[in-house]
Amino acid sequence: MKIKKNTDCDVLVIGAGLAGYIAAARASDLGLKTIQAGNSATLFFASGLFDLLGVFPIDSGKILTKPYSAIKKLQSDQPEHPYSKISQNQIRESFQFLTEFLSSAGLNYQLPGPDNKQILTSVGTFKPTYMVPETFSKGCDVHKDEKNLLIVDFKGLKGFSARQAASGLGEKKGKTYTLSIDLPENNGSLNPVHLAKLFENKDFIQRLSDKIIEFSGKADIVGMPAICGIHNSLDIVKSLTKKIGMDVFEIPGMPPSIPGLRLKNAFEKKLSTLHVNFLSNAKIVFHAMEKDHFILQAINDNFETRIKAKGVILATGRFPGGGLFAKRNIVIETIFNLPVFQPETRDLWHQLNFFDAKGHMINQAGLETDNSFRPLDETGKPAFENLYSTGSIIAHNDWARLKSGTGVSCVSAYTAVNSFYKKNM
Amino acid sequence: MHKTMETDVLVIGGGVTGTGIARDLSLRGVQCILIDKSDLNAGASGGNHGLLHSGARYVGSDPEAAVECKNELEILKKNAGHCIDDTGGLFIAVKGDDEKYIADFPGMCEKSGVYCKKIDIALAREMEPVLSDDMIAAYQVNDASINPFKISIENMNDAVSRGSQYLSFCKLIGFKMINNSIEYAFIINQDNGETFQIKARTYVNASGAWAGIIAAMAGITINMVLSKGTLLVTSKRMTKRVINRLRKATDGDIIVPGGVVSIIGTTSVRVESPDNIYPTINEVDHIISEGEKIVPALKTCRYIRAYSGARPLVGEGNNEDDRSVSRGFTLRDHKVDGADNLITITGGKLSTYRLMAEKASDLVCWKHSIFSKCLTKEIPLPSTKSGEWSEPGIMATEPVMSKIINDPILCECEMVPQSAIDTIVSSIKQAGGKPDLTSLALRSRIGKGPCQGAFCSLRIFSHMYDSNVLKDHSDIRDLKNFLNERWKGEKSLLWGQALAQSSLKEMIHSGLFGLELFENKN
Repeated sequence: MKIKKNTDCDVLVIGAGLAGYIAAARASDLGLKTIQAGNSATLFFASGLFDLLGVFPIDSGKILTKPYSAIKKLQSDQPEHPYSKISQNQIRESFQFLTEFLSSAGLNYQLPGPDNKQILTSVGTFKPTYMVPETFSKGCDVHKDEKNLLIVDFKGLKGFSARQAASGLGEKKGKTYTLSIDLPENNGSLNPVHLAKLFENKDFIQRLSDKIIEFSGKADIVGMPAICGIHNSLDIVKSLTKKIGMDVFEIPGMPPSIPGLRLKNAFEKKLSTLHVNFLSNAKIVFHAMEKDHFILQAINDNFETRIKAKGVILATGRFPGGGLFAKRNIVIETIFNLPVFQPETRDLWHQLNFFDAKGHMINQAGLETDNSFRPLDETGKPAFENLYSTGSIIAHNDWARLKSGTGVSCVSAYTAVNSFYKKNM
Repeated sequence: MHKTMETDVLVIGGGVTGTGIARDLSLRGVQCILIDKSDLNAGASGGNHGLLHSGARYVGSDPEAAVECKNELEILKKNAGHCIDDTGGLFIAVKGDDEKYIADFPGMCEKSGVYCKKIDIALAREMEPVLSDDMIAAYQVNDASINPFKISIENMNDAVSRGSQYLSFCKLIGFKMINNSIEYAFIINQDNGETFQIKARTYVNASGAWAGIIAAMAGITINMVLSKGTLLVTSKRMTKRVINRLRKATDGDIIVPGGVVSIIGTTSVRVESPDNIYPTINEVDHIISEGEKIVPALKTCRYIRAYSGARPLVGEGNNEDDRSVSRGFTLRDHKVDGADNLITITGGKLSTYRLMAEKASDLVCWKHSIFSKCLTKEIPLPSTKSGEWSEPGIMATEPVMSKIINDPILCECEMVPQSAIDTIVSSIKQAGGKPDLTSLALRSRIGKGPCQGAFCSLRIFSHMYDSNVLKDHSDIRDLKNFLNERWKGEKSLLWGQALAQSSLKEMIHSGLFGLELFENKN
């Protein structure tokens, strides 16, 4: 027998990816009574890097250094893109809000400047990004300087090879060395979460430093897989830096992502102190409008909670998040059955080549919105007065190709919550 | 001056027929070099059901082929048991199917000597609970499932162990003809761009759907008709046995278990060229709508892959060579066409590959005046370690599980450990090939589970850097090629969970790693 509960709130945020967390952060920051529902395991897929716009136009094949001038061009070329609904100031404000919020939660990000940074990835490519954790900061644009670099990997940490990462630095001026460390904890394979926890142990840091110190004559800076602790990662990196006598930075790799886990922990911890009620792994069903309030139900294994909400922020993502679901021949929105912008037939969803320069048309699918990110109905009017959307569920937003996912999440969440607040409070 | 290699026989094409010929001839003491422009089973040998026909499917349309299938089934079960899952099969009819064909079926089977036994509908449903409620007739037959990759790998391994050679990614670009004879063949190694010559006594065109293109290089016309067949792979095994629709052979009427998955097909569409064929959305939807009539769960189940192969058929209107053994396949001595030392073997089916190899090898020996008997009927096909990992679901077996303590699993969907990758890498190196993700995928199950290579590609790729198999940044194009190969089989099946999974793959490989920005030099 499930426990039945009743609750009400100013804002219900549906979704616990970055867009959902940022919306909940902004809502609670504005003093709104907030409930958030979702499955936060999705952040294991978040690299921890915040992108703004890394490639534009989509088929340019090139990495952008100056995102703001490209956004200006995007705003005039593609009025339907989410960035075309906001001002550049709103972007700056939203990132400022996000860094301050995360910093208050104990997770330090560098406040971004005007330019993109390039970050070496575990496969040896460079990722254009905008805002990085402090633990990544020394590695920004590492291929452009003359420092001698040491890249470290751990035997048993699958998918991260120092040699492979180093292969991307062929044109770097300084030398690149690699070191593969075989820990006694390695019994064939090392779980990234366990390994990250080992970093929180002082003896482990000492042991690790001793192994790296033999390179201190040759190298000037050390790159490590992004597993330097789950909590207090910045302190851990600083302590390594001090012991080794070289700058240390983290390198992003394949999921599960520890920097993503750090984000999840930081948001969860801070939001609970701000009294955001988090309904974990709850499936949300929309029942009806009662006057101008939404009546919804949150169902998980133990509870059935009836929620009365003044406003709803839809941050359910696209296909992996479950905000959109593709039947064999049509894409639907899963909670409010909102109209979904999509290619007409399934044969237009995907290109023949996975890496086609133009991207796949299915990644343009999503909700059409007004300038405050309220989803529109068939007639082009907001489907509900107080229903907002944020993140990848918004249409015309091939974020994986444009390297713009977290930027769209950040600015749409911030803008949507602000609009709701201004209109209703 | 080009490098020249010499051999008794040059076999062109590394499918089941070519590798079967290499083994057959090697057993008779005739040394071969086998070349393929891609790698083993790149054509129809890798693009089929993996079905070892009992013969029942052909009793109405081609009794001669039915008998061949029946005989070959017995030989292969005996001699290549490790490549076969002896599942048995059912023929079932549903409401609306041709009642005359149903009534005639047992008689036709009897005429060809093909085993078939009528069983109760209730029993059939007990045997295979997923069968449709509309079932009106059921017969039990001797069909089995065969792993065509393993067959080719093992045949080639055995041929190599007997002194023959395999050259992958070596493409024939022409023949040097003197009078009515091939003096040598021009080859290009597509890995390094190097060209060389192979001089042989006899040249065997076993290139399947490409047979017309190869023959044309010797000035000979073969009118090939290419029929594209598309097949779908489900994420779980649907039935224990092979399920055939009891009707005249048409689209979407066979479901074959392949280890932990099932394979449904097929279609038949004329194509002009054997290159660049891929499944279309229409074919996929058509196969599902036909398949669901016998197994309704096919409507809602998850699919992980679709692929296509081109059946090589030799066109009507050709002068039928008198050595053409059966309508099932074509064997031609091109002496009559003006090329004394070239033969072509094409057409046929997976089930009769051994017989085709036997007949082609007989012809080679006859031309060389060697009097020797085919030994592939008697001598079992050896099982080797590098063939082991092409088997779906091999990890489910107890002895293998116990071997892998301290051996990291690199492909978690199909449970392929690091030691298996190392074994396959060294066997590819031994054969003179270049190990990369694509050649590993051909010889193992990597990338064939639900994640379709999203994660295992990265784990295996970095392991190859660690073990010095890969060194250069430019090797990223191998990762791209591998993902794109997987993609060809995914893109027509992307809805529901599969679309969510492929979106994750794009998040990682494009969103984080930006592989689309890495210049693809291929």
